[in-house]
Amino acid sequence: MSELKIIGKPIPRHDAWEKAFGLTCYAADFTLPGMLYGKVLRSNHPSARILSVNTSRAERLKGVKAVLTAKDVPRNESVTRFGQTHAVGGGFEGLYRVLADRKVHFMGEAVALVAAETEEIAKRALELIQVEYEPLPGVFDPIEAMKPDAPLVQEGRSNIITHYEVVKGDVEKGFSEADVVVENTYRVPFVDHAYLEPESGMAWIDEDGVITIRVSTQVIEHFRGIADVLNLPHNRVRVIGTYVGGGFGGKEDITVEAFLALLTYKTGRPVKLTYTREESILSHSKRHPYVMIYKTGAKKDGRLTALQAKLVSDAGAYVYLSPWVLLYSMVNAAGPYRIPHVKVDGYTVLTNNTFTSANRGFGAPQVCFAYESQMDELARRTGLEPEKIRMMNYLEKGEALATGQVLERHVALKETTEKVIEALEERTSPSGQMRIGRGIASGMTSYGRMVFLHDTSRSHVSIEMDGSVTIRAGIQDIGGGQASSLCQITAEILGVPIEDIKIYIADTALTPFAGTTTATRQLYMSGNATLMAAREVRKILVHKAAGMLGIDPESLDLVDREVIDKEGTGKGLPLKEVVRACASDGLPLYHVALFKAPFRNVAQFERIEGQVFPDFTFGTHGAEVAVDEETGRIQVLKLISSFDVGRAINRLSVEGQIEGGAIYGMGYSLTEEVILNQGITMTPSFSEYLLPTSMDVPDVETILIESGDGVGPFGAKGVGEPSVCSVAPAISNAVYDAIGVRIYDLPLTPEKIVRALQSKVKAEGYL
Amino acid sequence: MKVSKTYPLKLNVNGEWKKTEVTPRETLLHVLRERLGHTELKEGCGKGDCGACAVLLNGKPVNACLTLALQADGKNVVTLKGIGTPDKPHPLQESFVKKGAIQCGFCSAGMIISAKGLLDENPKPSREEIRKAISGNLCRCTGYKKIVEAIEEAGQNIKKSVGRSQ
Amino acid sequence: MEYLRPQNLKNALHLMKQWKKKATLIAGGTNVIPDLRARAVRPEVLIDISHLKSLAYIKEDKRKIHIGALTTVSELASSKIIEKWAPLLSHAANQLGNPLVRNRATIAGNLADGSPAADTAVPLLALEAIVVIQGGKEKQVPIHQFFVGPNQTVLKRDEMIKEVIIPKFNPNAKTAYFKLGLRNSMAVSVVSIAVLMEMEKTFCKKARIGYGAVAPKPIRAYRVEEMLENKELTERLLRACCETIGKEISPISDIRASKEYRTEMASVLLKRVMKRVTQ
Repeated sequence: MSELKIIGKPIPRHDAWEKAFGLTCYAADFTLPGMLYGKVLRSNHPSARILSVNTSRAERLKGVKAVLTAKDVPRNESVTRFGQTHAVGGGFEGLYRVLADRKVHFMGEAVALVAAETEEIAKRALELIQVEYEPLPGVFDPIEAMKPDAPLVQEGRSNIITHYEVVKGDVEKGFSEADVVVENTYRVPFVDHAYLEPESGMAWIDEDGVITIRVSTQVIEHFRGIADVLNLPHNRVRVIGTYVGGGFGGKEDITVEAFLALLTYKTGRPVKLTYTREESILSHSKRHPYVMIYKTGAKKDGRLTALQAKLVSDAGAYVYLSPWVLLYSMVNAAGPYRIPHVKVDGYTVLTNNTFTSANRGFGAPQVCFAYESQMDELARRTGLEPEKIRMMNYLEKGEALATGQVLERHVALKETTEKVIEALEERTSPSGQMRIGRGIASGMTSYGRMVFLHDTSRSHVSIEMDGSVTIRAGIQDIGGGQASSLCQITAEILGVPIEDIKIYIADTALTPFAGTTTATRQLYMSGNATLMAAREVRKILVHKAAGMLGIDPESLDLVDREVIDKEGTGKGLPLKEVVRACASDGLPLYHVALFKAPFRNVAQFERIEGQVFPDFTFGTHGAEVAVDEETGRIQVLKLISSFDVGRAINRLSVEGQIEGGAIYGMGYSLTEEVILNQGITMTPSFSEYLLPTSMDVPDVETILIESGDGVGPFGAKGVGEPSVCSVAPAISNAVYDAIGVRIYDLPLTPEKIVRALQSKVKAEGYL
Repeated sequence: MKVSKTYPLKLNVNGEWKKTEVTPRETLLHVLRERLGHTELKEGCGKGDCGACAVLLNGKPVNACLTLALQADGKNVVTLKGIGTPDKPHPLQESFVKKGAIQCGFCSAGMIISAKGLLDENPKPSREEIRKAISGNLCRCTGYKKIVEAIEEAGQNIKKSVGRSQ
Repeated sequence: MEYLRPQNLKNALHLMKQWKKKATLIAGGTNVIPDLRARAVRPEVLIDISHLKSLAYIKEDKRKIHIGALTTVSELASSKIIEKWAPLLSHAANQLGNPLVRNRATIAGNLADGSPAADTAVPLLALEAIVVIQGGKEKQVPIHQFFVGPNQTVLKRDEMIKEVIIPKFNPNAKTAYFKLGLRNSMAVSVVSIAVLMEMEKTFCKKARIGYGAVAPKPIRAYRVEEMLENKELTERLLRACCETIGKEISPISDIRASKEYRTEMASVLLKRVMKRVTQ
């Protein structure tokens, strides 16, 4: 292929114009004649027996068309595969319950559904449903929940969902060889995805009797699970995904879909259901809190000798993706470092807290906070510069992770670290009570799903008689430019301007299955599928044109809607003429490609060995902070992100992901926490759950490395999730640099800073 | 169930007078979205914490969720759709697209409204003034950098085009 | 629910008298509308005074500034008169909520809500403002007597704030305001402080200190004021003040901060503002 014309350029996304004019129809913007409004009654106890549910008063209210409880759900409980096509075992499948039955397990669990003529009536109907609860003892701390006498969260099963381990070498030996050993316990909180668009969808029964759901989701392929809930064949439920107002993992599990399907199925009417912000925070999944006990050893010269970690994650009241997230944490637990002896034990445990599941980074940022805080402490203890000790220990291409997975592609950590150090430039000078500090942290995050899931994606590319191009791909666009990237790839291959391309996405009835928009997989998976499909179409066109022109196909190129002779003979044909010629020959002017990720079976999950992921994205964050020694307030002055993105398909989109990811990570570091007190949410709205505002953030500086060595199209890697990974430890390390105290639990609130400083003064006083 | 009384409401939305009947409890956001079809306004929080529903009310950016519809009676409301159209885009819409200031797009309507409110009063704002002006508008995707750049650029473009027309 | 839109102040007061508890008064709506949405208030009648333009003004006479009840926080924040004669209020107004909220929220609403963290109350305490209340008859209540407890003020069901009067401060006086929140916009105060000091070199002639979010209501720090007034300001005295303030306040613990942290910060902020005014 000659020089790239569209790939790598900062091209405005095709969806951005519609959004700028307010024309994009998000999930809650859609209405149908005769539509009803759905509402969900939620548990106001974190742990209780349901003694009775009386819906008769609600049912009698004028305008109420349905009041549903667990007994009305054809299949209320199922073992869900969470969007998977097949079961993999190993604790990976969990109980999915549509409506609480007999017991409620967390505050906000759905108990009943209502559909009514207006939203006001639906709200009123909720107030008229009488539920009698008998509060039961609950357990709200995963460490407590692991104890043998702890109350069981789900009947008939242990609170410990799963235990995994990673073992390499002999850690005892490794620690005996160490000159310096640091041991600390880290804690990270519940976090909300806080997408600006609350969960929303609309369902109706189409003219063929198909339950159709138009919904804001990252996974249209939940249609199978939804059909199972209704005991319908899978082909009788259709899910259409809208442009999503932010996902970040929170719209990866089923949100409103099953409720909508039930209500429309029972009433025969279209139903709309949109959560309030409070309902969203109360009821959807959260990022897993972890307790992480880390012990890391190194030689005096900085070489790492051993790492031992115990991870306990709080799964909340339902399993959901907790084992998956834990598995990610296990693979990442030792970081991108060469360590001869490693032992990691991980547990994920049920509690009566809000359930936890996917959140941008998926278990990687949690352990990164721990292993990169450890690295910083080792640097202090060995007297090495933080970047020096890291450089010395970074894994390189050809070396293996603790699990044995060999890194077969370029590891750019030395470059990203050098770039970050360079970009931090001169240290800002301190003033008043402000202390200045800087820190770095590196991380790794996989892109693409775990290899034993046998991930696939399909894409359909076709060319119309006028030379315009159509892509059909069942991807969900959650704001990351997922759809636009596929347009760019196709435009590049077929030599047409991007405005000649129309993409149809996210429809289980009409677009080929492309899998979930999760796991930073769409550019990798569907990008490759689209690249394959576009190349096939190109082949047909070039071959035909070669015949028409009497030129070797090898010397033809597609440029600006024309087939041209690369040799510059001036010979060529308009693309649409070639298309018409193909059509009259009966040649296929389309191709459906199937891209398969590498597949590897996992014999057992207890001990994690070998390849788990297709590839990783590596990067480094650098932060400079000003810490107010008296109030504990932290201001981030500089935030630098450097990543090997393989190849930037769209520079604007890549920068956008990296800038947004850095601030997402900054919120995690400083202000964001869903505070649960005995299972009760104390941060029910955006007044209490504090996202960074425009006045809190620095201008994130992005430095791209393009090794071209990713497994995505044109050598691209994924950046959506990796961009968050190492922000928190970079900021925390900068805080340490500023004031000489380390905080072991996120977020770094002013009060924690002040307390830590006080204990430091006290400790120094005793010396 | 008690039925709330309804009251006549007259609003000038994007230059056009609209009449409808509303209950006292209904917010301007609810009426614009549910009764007048202005779904370009988004509801992100319902209580003034996010800015996704911002509109210009008699020229000032406000949260439509924190304004009762009846409080806007007889007033001028400008939404994102009143600022520019595909045929006649506003410099802010152009710069938001070109600078990559739009990702999921859910905050964009409110963000552009706040920016419009700022540029109407101060066509050449500093970056600090821009950050302050949009500090009631949350964005979860972009980290704000490209939004600030887009507003800065739009300000410059507006100035240029004003210069030309003189 | 009924909606009433009185044509003038007199008419509004009449309606309030008529409906008493059944009515909720609404102006900027930034407190009332979220309460309505959360069903925290369930009035039978809404009395909307937001359109009473005659109640939105900032005027000055020789010795005082008069701020109409319905003046928005944005108007306070951008007013040249306020900036000149009550800069403390200017600072506080600029940091209240966020720009969209400031365009709706009114000074009277911020005060009548009675939040212990009310942002405009703190500078008004230091400025010794007077709240003009209109009921059956007009009365003037010094702001330090206006607040009663959490979300409670002296306002009766048939009364409303008509105006806030601020004595113009002595241009030689020093002032400082500091708001400590958890972020730089859309922050509820964890602790806020406003001071006004009249000084002759290092001799303090007059000290007025207002605090927010450290007690069930916005308060004046009388004991500290007394310690400072008519004294030579020494390092030692200032240290003593910073210790005393902890005894004068009664903060609570909530999700934003513990009472211990608030107590310590009350002292830290006092030290800071003192430093600023004595420089």
